[in-house]
Amino acid sequence: MKKILTVLPVLLLLTGCWDQAMLNQTKLITAGGFDYTKDGKVLTTAAVPQSVAAEAGKGNIVNQIFSASGNTARQSRLRLDRRVAERLDASKNQIILFGEDAAKKDIYQLLDVFYRDPKSALNAKLAVAKGKASDVISTRFEEPKMSSGVGEYLRDSIISAEESATVPKENIQTVCPVMFDPGQDFALPYLEPLKKTVSIRGVALFHEHKMVGTIREPLSVTYTMLTGEKHTIAMNTTKKIFKNKKPELMNYVTIKVKKNKRSFDVDVTPEGKVSAEIKLKMKVIVTEYPSDNLGTPGEVENVEKRLSKKLTKDAQKVIVKLQKMNSDPFGVGRHVMAYHYPVWEKLNWKEVYPKIDFKASIDVDVIGHGIIE
Amino acid sequence: MNSHTITHRQLFFLVVQTQIGVGVLSLPFSLFTKAKIDGWISLIIAGLLIQFSILAIWKLCDRFPQNTIYEILPKIMGKNLGLVFNFIYTMHFAFISILILIMYNSIVGKWILFETPHWVIIFIMAAAGYYFITSSPREIVRFFVLVTPLLLILFVFILYAYTDVHFLYLFPVGQAGILTIIKSSSDAVVALLGFDVALVFLAYTTGTPAKKIKVISFASFCITVLYAFIVFTTYIYFNPEEIVIVPEPVLYMLKAFSFSIIERTDLIFLSVWIISVATSFISYLFITAKGVQTLFKLKDHQKGAPYVAIFCAMIAIIPNEKLEVLIWNKYISLTSLIFSAMFPIVLLLIAMLRKKQEKGAASS
Repeated sequence: MKKILTVLPVLLLLTGCWDQAMLNQTKLITAGGFDYTKDGKVLTTAAVPQSVAAEAGKGNIVNQIFSASGNTARQSRLRLDRRVAERLDASKNQIILFGEDAAKKDIYQLLDVFYRDPKSALNAKLAVAKGKASDVISTRFEEPKMSSGVGEYLRDSIISAEESATVPKENIQTVCPVMFDPGQDFALPYLEPLKKTVSIRGVALFHEHKMVGTIREPLSVTYTMLTGEKHTIAMNTTKKIFKNKKPELMNYVTIKVKKNKRSFDVDVTPEGKVSAEIKLKMKVIVTEYPSDNLGTPGEVENVEKRLSKKLTKDAQKVIVKLQKMNSDPFGVGRHVMAYHYPVWEKLNWKEVYPKIDFKASIDVDVIGHGIIE
Repeated sequence: MNSHTITHRQLFFLVVQTQIGVGVLSLPFSLFTKAKIDGWISLIIAGLLIQFSILAIWKLCDRFPQNTIYEILPKIMGKNLGLVFNFIYTMHFAFISILILIMYNSIVGKWILFETPHWVIIFIMAAAGYYFITSSPREIVRFFVLVTPLLLILFVFILYAYTDVHFLYLFPVGQAGILTIIKSSSDAVVALLGFDVALVFLAYTTGTPAKKIKVISFASFCITVLYAFIVFTTYIYFNPEEIVIVPEPVLYMLKAFSFSIIERTDLIFLSVWIISVATSFISYLFITAKGVQTLFKLKDHQKGAPYVAIFCAMIAIIPNEKLEVLIWNKYISLTSLIFSAMFPIVLLLIAMLRKKQEKGAASS
């Protein structure tokens, strides 16, 4: 009994009260956006979902949008804080958007706050918005009006795009090692706000900390295939493989990738010339083929051949684009650095990369076609 | 005396729990600043080096069965010099306890409790330490055995990093040069400290000498492997250019993971890690209290325990800036290297030269 009595006051002392964060005193940001104003200041836009008490069980969510500018990302956040009654908290942030102009300047400088703050949500998604990020965040989207905030809506759109392989899987932390790597670059989803929805238009490619260009859908699917993303996601793509069938729709085939085997070779000749090659071996299922004649092996082979040819062409297009932008998301430079370090030290990779001999080929193997021929 | 003894299996858990401590979070970073991407090799070398210290400690204690370092020192160095060295060793262990408190405070203050005053964080740990060291070694070790399964949680969390790793970051292996790699292993030795508690706890251990050396050696081996795994994982998770700005890579890595129920994995990891810190702290605080008992000729170590705990907590409050913490860390690490890793070898040599040996001890 005496022991229990001594334990009781200890229990009272153990619950400190310094580090409490009251939920009713905070406003949780679910989406943040960065733009630059005309005079070079950082404009932060934040969306805070606020549920409006309606009848029981029918909570509607209203998105409150705040924005403020400052010399740095943190200053603009602090100014934002002053405009809002409660304290703003970004620890449940779902997505960070960069306006295209902001992305073209330097995204690391803006992200520094998130890397530094122990409470920030490092698993928030990153994306680049066509035009201004503030426009995307403040658009009144149709879907999220009722059920969820804009942050959740945007995040879910990106996740669904990731699952269909339109964009690579990235978050604040996963881009960080790559951003620092002199031998590799990364890509982020590229969004475009339509009137009442948001559309994921492809990927925005980066070089070092700057955005250097975009690859639009459907080529962006080919891009994701080339990164060697595993087949666990539903990689779907529709390709035109015939030219003159009527009606037009008969020329197309839609496939779903079941297995994606990637071999990536980087060669350095004794003279220091770098060449790279990506070879993909894909096992696919035909999910749409209006011509309906996959009965004979010859026809299947024909489709395979045409698909391989078309996809290889697309892959080559992607590579040419990447080299033009001087973005190296497949990490050719990293391979050179890892296996041919003396050569790497001599090279000025930024100048060499656009000129290297970089090939890609995709070999398709149809392993199924649904339940009809 | 009977409830004071521990079995050699318990000794294994004692050494394991003492070795895993504050060092694990920042070890990849401190190794990286010296040996670059080859830090994990330094760690393995350090793991081999400490086996020599362990051998020396065991041999030394084997010559004086059931004697702690505080009883051995006067026996091999003479009464007066022994007293001086007893004092040095007591202070040395006290300062390791202090360093543990300082590092624990700085990490908890930075990662979880931003607003809580530092003295509260430190005194809570010191109070827990005090409570534990009033018990017998057997009771302490039982607690250590009890919490060891928690290490699996830490391991599993770190394993999750393999969903996003870049193996190519490790290449080319050996770019730092062999000399740098060997030099930086001294930093790794500091992180692996903890086997030195054997200097006291071996006296309480039952079992044949061969069994004792096996468990200490094996415990250190396990920890070396675990640490090497952790360092290796962070090196392939972070880019070499990035790791220089991340002082606690392990936590940072976990912060990025989130599961459907757990959003901040690093907080779960920290809560488990605090127990590991507490176990190291308890071990060192216990042997400090033992030293105080010898110095002041107290009847038992419990008498000195509250003063020891308060002394450690008071000093641990002093450094309150990041740079000060770094300086304390640097100097205490240096002294630990000398007294825990190197000096036992010297002591053994002295004992062998002067042919000091307790009667009844198995002659070698």
